[in-house]
Amino acid sequence: MDFEFTVDGVRQTISLDRKDDCISIRHGDKTLEAEVRVISKQAVSLLVGGRSFLVIVARDKDKKYVWLNGRTYLIQRGKEEQRLAERGDDRAQKGKSVVTSPMPGKVVKVNVSENEAVRKNQTLAVVEAMKMENEIKSPLEGFVKKIYVSPGDLVDSEKPLLELEPK
Amino acid sequence: MFKKILVSNRGEIACRIIRACREMGIASLAVYSEADRAGLHVQLADEAVCIGPPPAVESYLNMDRIIETARTSGAEAIHPGYGFLAENPEFARRCERAGIVFIGPNSRALDLVGDKIRARQAMEKSGIPIIPGMKHVAADFAECAAEARKIGYPVMIKASAGGGGKGMRIVCSEEELRPSLESGQREAKSAFGDESVYLEKYIEDPRHVEFQVLADNYGHIVHLFERECSIQRRHQKIVEETPSQALTPELRRKMGETARKVLEVAEYNNAGTVEFLLDRNKKFYFLEVNARLQVEHPVTELTTGVDLVQQQIRIAAGEKLSLKQENLAQRGHAIECRIYAEDPSNNFLPSSGKILFLREPMGPGIRHDGGIYGGWEVPIYYDPILAKLIVWAETRESACARMAAALDDYVILGISTTIPFLKEVISHPQFHKGETTTGFIKSYFENWRQNQGPAEGLTLALAAAALDELSPSQKVEKAAGLEKEVYSPWQMLGRWRIGEKP
Repeated sequence: MDFEFTVDGVRQTISLDRKDDCISIRHGDKTLEAEVRVISKQAVSLLVGGRSFLVIVARDKDKKYVWLNGRTYLIQRGKEEQRLAERGDDRAQKGKSVVTSPMPGKVVKVNVSENEAVRKNQTLAVVEAMKMENEIKSPLEGFVKKIYVSPGDLVDSEKPLLELEPK
Repeated sequence: MFKKILVSNRGEIACRIIRACREMGIASLAVYSEADRAGLHVQLADEAVCIGPPPAVESYLNMDRIIETARTSGAEAIHPGYGFLAENPEFARRCERAGIVFIGPNSRALDLVGDKIRARQAMEKSGIPIIPGMKHVAADFAECAAEARKIGYPVMIKASAGGGGKGMRIVCSEEELRPSLESGQREAKSAFGDESVYLEKYIEDPRHVEFQVLADNYGHIVHLFERECSIQRRHQKIVEETPSQALTPELRRKMGETARKVLEVAEYNNAGTVEFLLDRNKKFYFLEVNARLQVEHPVTELTTGVDLVQQQIRIAAGEKLSLKQENLAQRGHAIECRIYAEDPSNNFLPSSGKILFLREPMGPGIRHDGGIYGGWEVPIYYDPILAKLIVWAETRESACARMAAALDDYVILGISTTIPFLKEVISHPQFHKGETTTGFIKSYFENWRQNQGPAEGLTLALAAAALDELSPSQKVEKAAGLEKEVYSPWQMLGRWRIGEKP
């Protein structure tokens, strides 16, 4: 049975086949045999050639956080472009540049105004979260097309702050 | 001894203090903002009272409300933890006036050490070495520019009411001075309600070495040795250890004696920390007194066997210090890692959200001071510290190995944390050599990204994700019509139940 995921923007296809207590895992050109024991709703123990792995999975909507050997993988269902388009995310479209807040917080300052020319890495706005000020820098050289927020606004992560027009 | 203590803090430190109260047979009263109703400190305490809306100024910094709560609920003392009202002389004074014991230094000592400039003046007068720089608040930009030229670039902007790296900026040239001053003042204003700043010579690549001190109300002062806190990002400590690799027994004795003298000069009581910068030539300078329980206090507890929070409570209750300097010794080595809700591969941006899964590391010599649990939503309003992982071992080498293994066992899913970053810091060859300075992160971890890891890891992680697609709770979602059912995987792979073979 085939599953499709996206990890770090790369599409990954994996296929599982059950054989008694074991599953055979096919990923790219590799095949692994694992004996599986479900430990809890979030934990599964895998034995691969006698080596023991505990894998912990937590899901949040279309994302899965998978922990294995001290490392956390962020695994998303389906393909990246498709996901962005489904969410109506502007980054799926080319030629437009929407600057978003990297985390939830409060806008403390908007340093630019509409139609203003901006340099790359110029500070566009300052968002405060958890008592730290974070400068939002321009990803490109161009003009400010539209500003969506004003100081004092609370913003969610990935919420558009302003829109730029590349030069 | 007190019968009830109000803990005017939240998160891991409130939990730490509540536990100390419980062990001493003292009832604990937690206060919380509307954003913290589900906080761990509320769950642990004997009593809990809501003190206002989420913003700290309306809750954890609301002095009237907190003192009133202590009064009406019969708490005889308030423990402020760190941050919020911990070093606020006005709060200590109001407690004194209301007849409530403030578990911390007296308000006069707080006044002095909280004013970085007055403290610099007083210490210099008593022959304690200070960092060259201004001994008064900067009046305007012109004066700053003139002073900076006099001190010589690079200079450091510091908040007069400062602490925790808030308002601090390094300035390398006059061109950078104005924007750095503006943002430093703004940050200081928002963190302390006071925008005054001053300039100091910036000491390049120093070590940050601090001494833990305890003083009772009768002038008896002991120090509990040093903590090295050089591993910092944004001027905030993230890894602390004791003993420091930089101190010889002679230097340790000298700095310890200086730390005791600093407290004497400030007429200080209760627990405090005297911070020093140690330059490349092993010359030390007084930096400031942190007039509170420090975040990193556990490493001292593990190596000296002294419970600092219990000592604070005993001193505040008027007990005499039973510890004697000559009986105090360091045993073994302890390291602390601060676990922050931050994304280390994206400039340490705060990361809030729900903790979907939590597994704290366990084992010999491992201590976890946390304020979190699985299912808890990390609020955006407060400092992003989640927990502290502390290990003790006989030697520094075993302590490093123990910390690396414990970080490997530590699972927090749903938000970004500093765990993978800390693992690499602890495992870095320079760290192993004890070559830790405040420039460590900038030198070796600038623009850090986690490496890919073994390919097999990704394969197994994907397999687990695929298995998760088939788990019963996903099935329930589908049955409830929350998701379109395309096919039933159960018929193909069989149902997987907890504790059951496939």
